Amino acid sequence: MAAVSVTAGRLLRLRAAGAEGYWRRLRGTGLARSFLQPASAGEDAAQTRQVAHFTFQPDPETREYGQTQKMNLFQSITSALDNSLAKDPTAVIFGEDVAFGGVFRCTVGLRDKYGKDRVFNTPLCEQGIVGFGIGIAVTGATAIAEIQFADYIFPAFDQIVNEAAKYRYRSGDLFNCGSLTIRSPWGCVGHGALYHSQSPEAFFAHCPGIKVVIPRSPFQAKGLLLSCIEDKNPCIFFEPKILYRAAGLNIMSSPCSVLNDKKKKMEQVPVEPYNIPLSQAEVIQEGSDVTLVAWGTQVHVIREVAAMAQEKLGVSCEIIDLRTIIPWDVDTVCKSVIKTGRLLISHEAPLTGGFASEISSTVQEECFLNLEAPISRVCGYDTPFPHIFEPFYIPDKWKCYDALRKMINY
Amino acid sequence: MALAISAARVWGPRRQAVPLLLRQLGARGLTRSQLPRWQQQQQFSSLDDKPQFPGASAEFIDKLEFIQPNVISGIPIYRVMDRQGQIINPSEDPHLPQEKVLKFYQSMTLLNTMDRILYESQRQGRISFYMTNYGEEGTHVGSAAALENTDLVFGQYREAAVGAAYAAKRANANRVVICYFGEGAASEGDAHAGFNFAATLECPIIFFCRNNGYAISTPTSEQYRGDGIAARGPGYGIMSIRVDGNDVFAVYNATKEARRRAVAENQPFLIEAMTYRIGHHSTSDDSSAYRSVDEVNYWDKQDHPISRLRHFLLSRGWWDEEQEKAWRKQSRKKVMEAFEQAERKLKPSPSLLFSDVYQEMPPQLRKQQESLARHLQTYGEHYPLDHFDK
Repeated sequence: MAAVSVTAGRLLRLRAAGAEGYWRRLRGTGLARSFLQPASAGEDAAQTRQVAHFTFQPDPETREYGQTQKMNLFQSITSALDNSLAKDPTAVIFGEDVAFGGVFRCTVGLRDKYGKDRVFNTPLCEQGIVGFGIGIAVTGATAIAEIQFADYIFPAFDQIVNEAAKYRYRSGDLFNCGSLTIRSPWGCVGHGALYHSQSPEAFFAHCPGIKVVIPRSPFQAKGLLLSCIEDKNPCIFFEPKILYRAAGLNIMSSPCSVLNDKKKKMEQVPVEPYNIPLSQAEVIQEGSDVTLVAWGTQVHVIREVAAMAQEKLGVSCEIIDLRTIIPWDVDTVCKSVIKTGRLLISHEAPLTGGFASEISSTVQEECFLNLEAPISRVCGYDTPFPHIFEPFYIPDKWKCYDALRKMINY
Repeated sequence: MALAISAARVWGPRRQAVPLLLRQLGARGLTRSQLPRWQQQQQFSSLDDKPQFPGASAEFIDKLEFIQPNVISGIPIYRVMDRQGQIINPSEDPHLPQEKVLKFYQSMTLLNTMDRILYESQRQGRISFYMTNYGEEGTHVGSAAALENTDLVFGQYREAAVGAAYAAKRANANRVVICYFGEGAASEGDAHAGFNFAATLECPIIFFCRNNGYAISTPTSEQYRGDGIAARGPGYGIMSIRVDGNDVFAVYNATKEARRRAVAENQPFLIEAMTYRIGHHSTSDDSSAYRSVDEVNYWDKQDHPISRLRHFLLSRGWWDEEQEKAWRKQSRKKVMEAFEQAERKLKPSPSLLFSDVYQEMPPQLRKQQESLARHLQTYGEHYPLDHFDK
């Protein structure tokens, strides 16, 4: 009862402050709904935590690759790994806690199926995991290494940049570690804070010799991961952890929403292996007025932004999922910008030196005379990824919408 | 159910599970709840004396005692020959045939000759950089001679060596991996990672550490405070040995046995070969800045792997002064001819700057390649194109 009056009071204050837009935004995120809920012990505290800042939009089912099954992201990863170990007897999976199934359940069942010499735990040492993986790959066997969180990849940075990326080059193609793939959970998750939310793709974009790939969905993930595993160059595959589970984040504000969300993050994914090519961006929606580029979770954010732009501003957006960060598909992005004349790039990683800078720089070189407005980057702030301030930090649809509006009115 | 299975896997059919069961049943086979309360305490007293921690297999001690690291009397150094080249313990003599021992000697001296010529050539500006092996020829040749042609050699890259060994084990390849590194490199985090992974993942690998007293200018007293590198092995659960690196037979024996067991038992071995770096770290280094000439001379004159083997050969009548003179001349000629032949070759085409970054060349890189080609067309005179292929 007390909680209701507190929240009601808060509500009135907001109204009084004339913060219409803010109120609307709160309502949009579901926070306001939680303010209005009748108080009931534990649940109430839980419900005031944030809900997801995006709505997962599954792609339509494809019949191209045979029989499909409903899978969420971690299940599609398991499926890809299962396919790989089945057809490649040299393939092994290793990392911290992968044996029991992994902290995100991506490797569940694989050790039982393929044996403890093929799916095994390593000591807690990221540089060791990657270095060891390089060695396996050098002999020609397929190494699939897991780094438990992308935030922990930095101890392995030297191994990736100085060893893996340069192995083929420095030996004049006498040796290589192309059969190495490093998988790692990536991106914000609602409560990850400084060390469970990072998107470090920009650090690796600066490293010739490796490939960096980020999927937006279960169907994309399986095809891209299989391509990474089969690619003859060392690859890093970042998996948006917020998309892993069917049940989504901790909290939804009502049971109905939980059920809806469960269905939302699943897609029909082919059971058999299939490949999605690397270094090819995908135009997931055609448009004429502005190009929106993102990858991973952020693709779903900009999809909503495109819908908002269409509805509120009558603006037609072309949406591109970059998919591969390096080597990136310059042609698709430039072709789109030449058509639309406007470009907005968005990522969670901090603005300065983020990968949007590279895209922006290249596009202005190639498409200068086609640009109607300066290229817009909507990114995380130049801070470590915050804990309680996450809702303010992330480049949500409102920030993207606002930037888009400014670009249109330039 | 799955949780129970994974729990069983964690604790497994190993030592921890059995004492747990005993604990529950009590000494007389009764479960705890079946015993009267006053007896429940007493049931466990004998078992309480045995530690059950998953993390270590050890007895209790009731006296506070820190373990003193033993650096005064460290791990002993295995040797076969004394400094005069005489076999000390006949049962350790590898009894290698004359031709093989001669090959040892000629490899070490050829290496020494090549070092001298190439060091000079750097001083003359004919090559850019060189590192000599003076004083350490025994470690290279003795260990290499103990391996098979199909074994994998890593000249550093400790963790990658472990991965390669793991893959070799899975492939039933009957190969060992050997990884060479200095006592300085043993301080790197990846040495720790390599040792730990090799032990936990049961890899057929030989970690061969050349402890030559210096990491550039850093003496061992500033590199570590423990008993060298060999003493670290047992900390990881690794079979370890320290050998006289200037005794090519000791190096050979240790490596041979390590190889046999590493492959047969799928476990890592650590060999610390004690030696001395007689030369400078590299052509960019002048070691007189941090060590005395007397110290260097001592090792060069009194404890050199090549001299020691020569004494052995001479005492067996397998070598003499005339052969020595002839071989010196021949090895010099060999190196000079190879050097001159290499010097005459043009360097590869600048367009190859862009190859092998990836297996296939990405379009952006091809654009950069073309841009360099165009640049050279206009500004080529400012580049040393004469020394390169077209």
